[in-house]
Amino acid sequence: MGEKGETHVTRAGIVRLAAVAAAVVLTAAACAPGQAEKKEVTVIGTWGGSEQESFLAMVKPWEERTGNTVKYTGTRDLNAVLSTGVASGILPDLAGLPGPGQLVEWAKQGALKPLDDVLDIAKYKEETSPAFVDLGTVDGKVYGVFIKSALKGLIWYNPKHFSGPAPTSWDAVMATDPAPAQALWCVGLESGAASGWPGTDWIEDFVIRQSGPEVYDNWVAGKQKWTSPEIRAAFEAFGEVVAKTYGGSDTINSTNFGDAGNPLFTDPPGCKFHHQASFITDFFKNQGGAKEGDFDFFPMPDINPAYAGAFTGAGDLFGMFNDTPAARDLMKYLVTAEAQQIWVSRGGALSGNRNVTNYPDDISKRSAEILANAKIFRFDASDLMPTEMNAAFWKAMVDFVANPSNLDQILADLDTVQASAYGQ
Amino acid sequence: MTAVSRPLVTAAAVARPRRLPGPGRWLLHAVVVGLMALWLVPTLGLFVNSFRPAADVARSGWWTALVPPWDFTLANYEHVLSRQGLDHAFVNSLFITIPSTVITIMVAAFAAYAFAWMQFPFRNLIFVAIVGLLVIPLQSTFIPILKLFASTGIAGSFLAIWLAHTGYGLPFAVYLLRNYMGGLPKEVFESAAIDGASPTTAFFRLALPMSVPVLASLTIFQFLFVWNDLLVALIYLGATRPENLPLTVVVANLVNSLGGETHFLTAAAFITMALPLVVFLALQRYFVRGITGGAVKG
Repeated sequence: MGEKGETHVTRAGIVRLAAVAAAVVLTAAACAPGQAEKKEVTVIGTWGGSEQESFLAMVKPWEERTGNTVKYTGTRDLNAVLSTGVASGILPDLAGLPGPGQLVEWAKQGALKPLDDVLDIAKYKEETSPAFVDLGTVDGKVYGVFIKSALKGLIWYNPKHFSGPAPTSWDAVMATDPAPAQALWCVGLESGAASGWPGTDWIEDFVIRQSGPEVYDNWVAGKQKWTSPEIRAAFEAFGEVVAKTYGGSDTINSTNFGDAGNPLFTDPPGCKFHHQASFITDFFKNQGGAKEGDFDFFPMPDINPAYAGAFTGAGDLFGMFNDTPAARDLMKYLVTAEAQQIWVSRGGALSGNRNVTNYPDDISKRSAEILANAKIFRFDASDLMPTEMNAAFWKAMVDFVANPSNLDQILADLDTVQASAYGQ
Repeated sequence: MTAVSRPLVTAAAVARPRRLPGPGRWLLHAVVVGLMALWLVPTLGLFVNSFRPAADVARSGWWTALVPPWDFTLANYEHVLSRQGLDHAFVNSLFITIPSTVITIMVAAFAAYAFAWMQFPFRNLIFVAIVGLLVIPLQSTFIPILKLFASTGIAGSFLAIWLAHTGYGLPFAVYLLRNYMGGLPKEVFESAAIDGASPTTAFFRLALPMSVPVLASLTIFQFLFVWNDLLVALIYLGATRPENLPLTVVVANLVNSLGGETHFLTAAAFITMALPLVVFLALQRYFVRGITGGAVKG
C-alpha cells in the first residue's frame, strides 16, 4: 500500500512538472521577439536537391553585395502553399509559380505585383524569348519572368551504338536499324500522380511539327478538337513509336521517366533512342550510371517543311507577391544574364535569358542555341491547358500506351473533358 | 490496479499453452513470425537501398544486393547528413513536436476528466461535438486558421504551429482519454470527494496517475503524428519562416523538382525514423499495458 502510494505521488509530481513546463514554454513563445528584421527576402520555389543548391549559389553574390539575406523554402507542394497563402494573405516575397494558369488568376486578383516598374522591361523583352514574355504577361503587364528553362524534343542516344549523321527526317529516324539494341526506342511514362506526362511531350512535339503553331495554339485554347485529324495524326505517330519500344506497353507504363533512358547504357543496350527534354542528362548521370560522353543528342527533325525549326519547351515562372525594396532588388538581379549564368555554369539548366551563352558543356550549349534560334517556339501545351484537361491528357497517354487500338474512345473522352474544362 | 490485473494476466499466460499443445503452437508461431516478416519487407528494402549507389537502385531490386558481389556505400548518408540546415531542422522538429505533444495531452486530460467526472450543462452535447470534429479534414481548415494567425500576428511562429497541432490532435485525444477515465472505478472518486478532495486534487492525484498507460499510448500517437507531419508545417511556416521548418520538409526537399535524386530519401528516412523509434521503444512498456488494461476491464 505504502509503496503504491509513493509511486502515485511521484507520477503525479512528474505530470505536474510537465504542466508547469508547458505553461512556461507557452509564455516564453508568446513573449519572444519574433519580429524579423526587414532586409530579408523570403522566396519559395519547387527547386530541391541540387537545384536548391544552384539557386542559393545564384543569389549569393546579391546577398554579399547588398547585405540582405534570402530565406528559401523548397517544396513540390507549391500550389497548396501559394493557394492558401493567396487566400489568407500570408505570402512569401518572391515565389516560383505552379503554372501559367495560376499566374493569370493571381495577377487578376491583385496578389501578384506587376513587374513593369521593377525590371528594365525593354531589356528583359530583348533578352527573353517572346513565347516566355507572353506567358508572363497579363493585361499588358509583366507579372512573371523565367529564370530557367528547358528545351523539349531532343532525341538522346549512346555514341557507342549510334555514330551515323543525325537523321534529317522523321521517317529516317523511324527507319534506323535498332541493332545492336533490342528495340529502337525507350519510353517511360510513370511519374506518380503525374504519370503520362512524358507521353504528352511526345504528342506536343508531333503536333507542332506536323500541323504547326496555329493548330497548336487552338488546341491549347480548347478550340481544336482531340478527334480532329491533326491531333489524331500525332497520336498515331506516337503509336508507331510505342510499337518499336523496348519492353512494350507494360514496361512503358511501369518505368519511371527518370529511369526510362537507362537501357541506352546497358550492355547489350535495350534501345537506341530516347526522347526527352534537356534536363534528362542529370538523370543519366545520377541514376543511369552514365558518364559524360556516354550520351549525346540530335534535335527531333522537322516533319512538315512548312513548320521547319519548331520546338517546344518549358520553364519555371517566377513572380513577386510583396512589393518591398529588397524583393524588388532581388527580382531585378534574378533576370540578369549575370545571375542566370551562375546556375547555368553549375549545370542541369538552360537560362531563360538569351544573353547567357557560356555553357559548361557541349550538350547544354547546343540545346541553348536551339532554344535561342528556334523559328517557332511554343510552351508545353499540357501545362497551359486547364488543370482538368491536363490531368485527362496525362491519363489518356497511359491508356493509349496500354491499348493503342482504343484510340477512338480515348480521343472522344478527351473531347468530352475539353467541352467542360474550358467553360469557366 | 496492478494487484487486480496481474493474476488475470498470469492465468491467461498459463492457460494458453494448455489450449494449444505441440504442433498447434508451432503453427501459430510460424504464422505470427511470417506475418511480421511480411510486414517488415518494405522497411528492409528501404534499409538495403539506403546503402546502395543510385545507379544500382535504378537498375535492380534491393534483394539483388544481398548476394555477392556486395557494393554498399555510405555516400547517401554522408550526403544527407552534410546537407546544410539538417541539424537545425532536427532541432526545429523537436521544438515543434515536444510542446505540441505536451500541450495536447495536458489540455485533453483536463477536458477528459471534466467530461468523465464533472457535472455541467450540455456535457454530452459538447463531448459529441468535439468527437464530431474528428471527421473534419484538416486541409479544409488551413485558410481560416491562417487568416486568424495573420490577424493576431503569430503567423509563421512556433506558437502558431503548436496551437495548430494541438487543435488537430485534441478531438482524438479527448475521445480516447474520456473513455479511459470514464472507466476508472467510481468509488475512488466518491471516497475522495467525501474526504474533502476538490476536483483539482482528484484530477492530479487520482485520475492522472491512474491514466498513465493511456497517456503513454496517446503520447506515442501524437508524437508520431506531429513528428511525421509535412503539410501542416509547410502551410503554416513555409511561406514566411523557412528557418522554422522541421525535418520532414527539409528531407522532402532533397528531391529535385522533377523527382530526381530520390536515392537520398532512403537514407533520410532512416535518419528521421531514429528518434520516433527511441520514443516508441521507451514508451512501449506502457503502451502494451494500456491495451491489456483496457482489455481486462472490458
